[in-house]
This record gives sequence, structure tokens and C-alpha cells, in this order.
Amino acid sequence: MVTRLPRMALIVLAGALAGFSWNSLSGKGFDLSQSVFVQAGDQLVSARDARAWLDKGALFLDARPRDFWRMSRIPGALCLPEEEFEQAFAELEPRLRQNLNLIVYCSGYGCESSHIVARQLRARGFPAVILDEGLPAWEDEGYPLDTEARP
Amino acid sequence: MSELLRAPRLHLLLRVLLGAVFVYASLDKIADPAGFARIVYQWQVLGPVASNVVAVTLPGVELVAGLLLIVGVWKRDAAAVVAAMLVVFIAAAVFVLARGVDVDNCGCTSVAAAGAAPSWPPEWMRGVGWFLITRNLVMLSAALLLVFVEPEKS
Repeated sequence: MVTRLPRMALIVLAGALAGFSWNSLSGKGFDLSQSVFVQAGDQLVSARDARAWLDKGALFLDARPRDFWRMSRIPGALCLPEEEFEQAFAELEPRLRQNLNLIVYCSGYGCESSHIVARQLRARGFPAVILDEGLPAWEDEGYPLDTEARP
Repeated sequence: MSELLRAPRLHLLLRVLLGAVFVYASLDKIADPAGFARIVYQWQVLGPVASNVVAVTLPGVELVAGLLLIVGVWKRDAAAVVAAMLVVFIAAAVFVLARGVDVDNCGCTSVAAAGAAPSWPPEWMRGVGWFLITRNLVMLSAALLLVFVEPEKS
């Protein structure tokens, strides 16, 4: 097995090089340095900055499915799920108008909901930003969660 | 039994089949690197940038190793690379299952989005579950056979 390692490494290297070349030369590639969910116009904010904004009165919007928001949320966050955006937005619009520091989050780097909801808000004239890497980033910093159950 | 495992025809069959599976599995991912990256994110194992690197390099390694298996050049080394990949896939699947992460399409052979889910393959075949782990264990045994068992000289 050990004698195979050099050739195995060569195979992996050749495959990886082919992959990198294809990504940069084929025109089908993407920017490897950031989340693939980030599109032009998306503005990301780190958990640390978001915390500072919260203290200054920023409003968080939870883009996860409603059941998740019912269990726990960033303090003061309103429920604005991607799946029921139109309806939830219509109900929340008056409150959103009072606060133009909007931060949208979802359940981590693997979910696109915060990006989609922020884009829909921007399309309606609300300058919403996205919490980078979502709720796990917030929890990793040890910031508080509101875990009181909601109906 | 050991004679059967050393049969050149068995080795040829397993080698070409395994190679074809890996070449086939790489094609959809190569056609849509960003789409495959989205699927790697769903596994929630590596973080975004490392997932991007995996999404771009993994299909290349699958393609090269699969082609070598089919044409029969460096076949035992290619089989060892395939075996190593399968071990990583199985470990990642166990990790995902243990944490209860919901992956609706494993991204094994297709990068189709969940919303555009076709009726075939069904959800239990596409997702990360026991079917996936069993399938990978079967392929892993074939790969290990190719690595460690010398075929009989015919």
C-alpha cells in the first residue's frame, strides 16, 4: 500500500489540477474565495458587527422555517421565512419601515434563505444585510439567544 | 473462493464497472461546479471555502481515477484512490446521519436542485442514508479487492 502512495498522490494531484483549471478556464466556474450563495449586491456582516448593531437597535429577521423561529431566535428577531415571504412581509412591513437596520439570518453557511430574503427586501427598497454564516456564527461567539417558545 | 476472487475476468468486470460509475458520477458535477458546491454546503461538514475547493477538485479526481480504471493504466493505484474516496464518503455520510443534517440530494451522481426533484431516483436513493452507505460499502469492497488481490495470470 505504501508503495502506491506516490502514484496515488499523482492521480489526486492530476484530478485536482484538472478541476482547478476547468473552474478557471471553462467559463462555468465560480469564485472559490466566498460562499457560492453570494451575488452582486449582497452585503454580509460578521456576527461581531451584527452584535454591535443589535445594541444600537438593529432588527434581525429570521429567514428559517417558522417552526425554528418558534423554538429560538436572536433576541428581538421577527419571523420572515423564505417559504412564506409574501404573506409574512405584508404583515411585517409597517414594523420594517420603522427600522432600516435590517439583518437577515438563517441556519448557517449551508442555507441560502437569508440571501434570498435579503434580496427580496432590497427589491422592495429595504437595505437588508446578511449575517455571515448565520445562526451558528452567532452562537459560536457566545451571543444570547431568545429561547422562549412562541406560538 | 480465493480462486474466484483472483479470476482475471472478475477483475476486468469490477474495474470497468467501478471506473464507469466514477466517470459517470463526475460528469454532472463538472458541468455545474457551483451547483455541486451548493450540495457540498448541505452536508455542513467543511465550511464554505473548503467546500468550494472540494466541489471543484473532487470531480476531477473522480474522472481521472475512473478513466485510469477503465483503460487499465495504473489500475491498482487508481483503485486505491477510489477506495480512499469511498472511505471519506462513508465517513461523511455517517457524520451527517449522526448529526441529523437533512441532505435531500447527496450529490453523488447528480446536482439537480431539491426543488426540481425528479420522481426518479426516489428520495431514499438520492438522500444521505443507509442506502448510500450500503452502496458505497459494496463499491469499497470491489475497490479493495482490486487493490489487494493479485489477479491470476491467465
